Amino acid sequence: MSIAAPRYGGAPVARTGRIYRLLTIFHRELLRRFGLGTMLVVALTYLAVTLILTINIEFASLTGTLSLSTFETPYASPAWPFLMLIVATSVGAGSIAEDVGNRSITLYLSRPIRRVDYLAAKASATGTWMVIVAVGPGLAGLAVALALGWAPASLVLSGAGAFVATGLLASVFFTGLALALSSLTTRSLYAGVATFGVVLSLEIGGPLVSGLTGNTSVAYASPITDILSVAQSAFGISGPYATDPLTSAALLAFAGAFLVIFAGWRISRVEVVGE
Amino acid sequence: MLRTDSVTKRFDTVEALSNLSVELSPGTIGLVGPNGSGKTTLLRLLLGLLPPTSGSLSVLGRDPQQEPLAVREQVGYMPEHDCLMPDLSGVGFVAYMGRVSGLPRETAMSRAHEVLEFVGLREQRYRKIREYSVGMRQRVKLAQAIVHDPPLCLLDEPTSGLDPEGREEMLGLVAALSRLGGRNFVLSTHLLPDTEGLVDQVLLLNEGKLLAAGPVTRLLSDRNPETVVRILGDVPGFITALSRRGVEARSQDSELRLVLPSGDTRPVFEAAHETRTQVRYLGPSVRTIEDLFLKLVDEVPGGPAP
Repeated sequence: MSIAAPRYGGAPVARTGRIYRLLTIFHRELLRRFGLGTMLVVALTYLAVTLILTINIEFASLTGTLSLSTFETPYASPAWPFLMLIVATSVGAGSIAEDVGNRSITLYLSRPIRRVDYLAAKASATGTWMVIVAVGPGLAGLAVALALGWAPASLVLSGAGAFVATGLLASVFFTGLALALSSLTTRSLYAGVATFGVVLSLEIGGPLVSGLTGNTSVAYASPITDILSVAQSAFGISGPYATDPLTSAALLAFAGAFLVIFAGWRISRVEVVGE
Repeated sequence: MLRTDSVTKRFDTVEALSNLSVELSPGTIGLVGPNGSGKTTLLRLLLGLLPPTSGSLSVLGRDPQQEPLAVREQVGYMPEHDCLMPDLSGVGFVAYMGRVSGLPRETAMSRAHEVLEFVGLREQRYRKIREYSVGMRQRVKLAQAIVHDPPLCLLDEPTSGLDPEGREEMLGLVAALSRLGGRNFVLSTHLLPDTEGLVDQVLLLNEGKLLAAGPVTRLLSDRNPETVVRILGDVPGFITALSRRGVEARSQDSELRLVLPSGDTRPVFEAAHETRTQVRYLGPSVRTIEDLFLKLVDEVPGGPAP
């Protein structure tokens, strides 16, 4: 080993601001989640949603029944929200858990960033992945239909708005859930299983409890049911809905925000007790 | 450079730091004490990662609680435990931490190369950190602490887990850095020999309480009234001969502890000549920071810590 002085002789370097540091963490977190499994699920989602959407648009166009509700087809079953759940599990579960597990969170917090910057970077990266899988495929399908001249631009614009609104709500919820559960453990596997388990339990348990007790408001506990209700409403499908779309939208947004705040509280706990 | 004013930090019922008041000037500072003495807690307080239960701190003239980001821009931190990102290469990791510390991308990358060369990881810098040995991990931890060229580095147990050769190399790196000038170090360690010859000031902690703080030379001279003499020969006769010359000595096997008036060593050699004993060693009883620490712990009411 040779010991030589580092060549630090240059002029002092102007430091970057907090936003740059936050974006640095965001960028790493975003790229870190590129994996074969995640990319396969994302590709499958794009392929399936685009195909279903464009085929339905073409059919409706040919039969003269094309309307905003035609675009709702990808949300006709829980399949798409489940694919979102898989991506949330894949990219979000390790987001904080891995940093706590390998203790690199100590390094982050010893840097000139605030705890909220770290959380914002992690949430933004997971949220970006969620938007890619929850909003992107619908917009891609609409873009294909528009390019092929199967749907008028004004209708495509309305459809895009509905996809963005529904997709963003789903993204907020899944991002919050994945981050919150990621902050509870030091292993991404546990966080992933918990994320999947929580949603599945609510999906299976909600209707079961609702059926047994006759209390229909239990259905609000099911996030996928909430997403589907919001989607139906956004795409102009007349009820009855399983849940009130406005209430469901508010619940999804509130739960997502609350869960992100919970993750922030957990990060502060991890730091203080020196885990 | 560092100042704490009546700082107390309590975790539930445990008092990690108790009414700590010190002021240390720039240089290389040894933060010394056994495990659980409050060293890491103090480092975290200095970084603004923890709020003190009471009291106030100042790091490079700033309050870490009031201006945590400004303080952390000026401070590099090498944690004790493993905290690396195993999926990154050495150079990728150090450059990334440089960017998170506020360096522009190109500067961070060029400095990452420089500091990795400095710590002796030039050949291994493109390997994934997961493939690094313990010694290499410690070096890359040091590299990430200095990549943004901070005026103050807090090194928490930098020799932890290293073999003797690795320990020497790590201490050599710290010594080389401290010689460059303009950089100050706080070297936290429970291995007291690590600080010998390396630090010019020391802060001794035990069970969260301050034992001593200040320049090493002053602390050693202030606490040095006794002289140790090792002899070969008639120990009782030697003690009697010393007593006749007005010097009282305590014996422990062949080692004697005595206080020489005005530091005059003549009575020792006269007594040796009289009793025909050999003086094998004559020197101050407190010669090292370790000696000083043990002496101070002994002086604490209630005796030495278990």
